[in-house]
Amino acid sequence: MTECPECAASVENHDKVLGEVFPCPDCGTELEVEAVDPFAVQPAPREAEDWGE
Amino acid sequence: MSDGFRLGLFTTIVRPEEKAILAAAEARGIPVQRLDDGEVTFGLERPEGLPDVVLNRSVSHTRALYAALCFDHYGVPSVNGAQVLELAGDKVRTSLRLSARGIPTPRTVVALSPEAALRAVASIGYPAVLKPAVGSWGRLMAKVDGPDAAEQIVEHKSALGSAIHSVYYVQEFVPKPDRDLRVLVVGDEAVGAMYRRSTAWRTNAARGATVEPAPLGPELRELALRAAEAVGGGVLAVDLMEAPRGLVVHEVNPTPEFKALGSATGLDLAGAIVDYAVGVGRR
Repeated sequence: MTECPECAASVENHDKVLGEVFPCPDCGTELEVEAVDPFAVQPAPREAEDWGE
Repeated sequence: MSDGFRLGLFTTIVRPEEKAILAAAEARGIPVQRLDDGEVTFGLERPEGLPDVVLNRSVSHTRALYAALCFDHYGVPSVNGAQVLELAGDKVRTSLRLSARGIPTPRTVVALSPEAALRAVASIGYPAVLKPAVGSWGRLMAKVDGPDAAEQIVEHKSALGSAIHSVYYVQEFVPKPDRDLRVLVVGDEAVGAMYRRSTAWRTNAARGATVEPAPLGPELRELALRAAEAVGGGVLAVDLMEAPRGLVVHEVNPTPEFKALGSATGLDLAGAIVDYAVGVGRR
């Protein structure tokens, strides 16, 4: 368990993997798993101009 | 599998697609070497500890392309390879290649200055569609309904300032049903197809289009395989529209998202992609 860097809500690691992007369950900010053990998250990188499929 | 074979997974972020790839590799007993596109550095000499093949899932066209060039240099095959990314990651190059291979595609005009862009739009006729040459998810695409809109949109694009927006890719607006088609090609196989339905003119799943499985008839299959082969082949999502004159290919995506297609069809697409990449690595 860790805290959302935006809203400080508790965020749990339910089988998440390094680099996984998911929304904070409280404020919806996109978060990225920075480390699995101990669990740490950071704001997900913002979409850049050349991102795509 | 315990022969030391490793699958490299090159990513920007881990989305459901990459998570499914990790799970598919684990289910097959294939060790995965994670490579973060923001962390890796590339020297001119071949480093130690490289994987046997790299599944390139970077969402950044630039990072994906330069990494693939470096992996090529080290003799490590990438899925998709650098030449495929160069072609399919750029709509201008894709259109040129599709046209050269006689694959039906929307009428397209490329212009390299704002003034020429206005003439290009006028020559296509209204409505026309202006797209960035690089990028996807429908971002910064504009439907141009008339000359006034063309002037405003071209002015806005030139104000964006970046080099890529100084290339104006103008396409006819194809009057299609409220849906388009996506076919996922993996190697020599068209593995699945779906309709993407939206009442809006952009039918990207990223823009909220709903999806449903589509029958993979011979015409659709053949066209998708030809389009994929035209850009060099590999793992490619071919997007098509049902134009009045028949199916037209409007995009070939070299780093495809496949969550929506997997949900629509129930197919194990991550498994197919991992199997293909492993096959490339073992060639």
